[in-house]
Amino acid sequence: MSDAAPAHNDSHHKLMVDNKKLFMWLFLGSDCMFFGTMISTHLIYRKLYPESFDPTSLFSLELTSFSTFILLMSSALMAFAVSAMHKGNMKSFRRNTLGVIFFGLIFLACQVYEFTEFTHAGLTLKSGTFGSTFYMLTGTHGVHVAIGVFWLICMYFYSHTGKMDPHESAVDVEVAGLYWHFVDIVWIIIFTVIYLIEFIQ
Amino acid sequence: MSDTHSTPHADHSDEAQKHHAFVNLALVLAAITGIELVLVYLPIHEAVVFSSLIALSLFKFFSVIAWFMHLIYDKMLLTLAFGTGLAIASGTVVALMFIMDRSFVDFEAISAF
Repeated sequence: MSDAAPAHNDSHHKLMVDNKKLFMWLFLGSDCMFFGTMISTHLIYRKLYPESFDPTSLFSLELTSFSTFILLMSSALMAFAVSAMHKGNMKSFRRNTLGVIFFGLIFLACQVYEFTEFTHAGLTLKSGTFGSTFYMLTGTHGVHVAIGVFWLICMYFYSHTGKMDPHESAVDVEVAGLYWHFVDIVWIIIFTVIYLIEFIQ
Repeated sequence: MSDTHSTPHADHSDEAQKHHAFVNLALVLAAITGIELVLVYLPIHEAVVFSSLIALSLFKFFSVIAWFMHLIYDKMLLTLAFGTGLAIASGTVVALMFIMDRSFVDFEAISAF
């Protein structure tokens, strides 16, 4: 009996996972399915109607690569922010979070600029299957980025209220970080399958 | 990693190592993005370019998950939670791409509808 108790505690400890983190990972798994269906829809319509639209004349790979670079760097800053919070370094957390917010806003500005250019060139939600699926996919991703930026802005201002305890809030920051990194990995896929592949000669 | 009992010195060393890994990974990811951009303009066979782009994209995808999202340092349960969703999503994409081939789709029926 006395031998069984530590073994039980040990196995219990091994399974212990923070609920917030577990639910965020489950949510991200379900969001994968959400984006998976939208990416499939875009690719299928591209395959079925290849002659419907040629996006190479419209897409600016330089701008999209810049957006990708910005999002990747914001992910690195987010990792530093999470690490700073784990160490209890509030100053570093705020600095890095501010960097992520700034980079997120740059990404959104690039997307707004891109959408404006495309709309002026005649590619709209109603202009065909390409426009519909393209705007649905990239727009939904943009909404995810906007939600992430809003979340981080709230967290940044909350850290100035003095109510944020580094030990208690570390998991909250980590969960926000997971969401932000997910937004980044979705863009990595979108950048390749929606933009880059169109340019293969 | 966060669940292991270690000395403050070891913790500090771990954090420094993680920090170093984050910087290196950020640089590698930026470099890969540059390579991807150049790759599409190179006069190479399209199958090679396509395969390379997919491979590089997957490398970036899983690197961010493993290091930035700390999945290699975390519990296996979290990998399973995310992996299940990812596997279903990937399976759906692959299955739909095979099913919705031009040869299987009745375009006349779609036009009539």
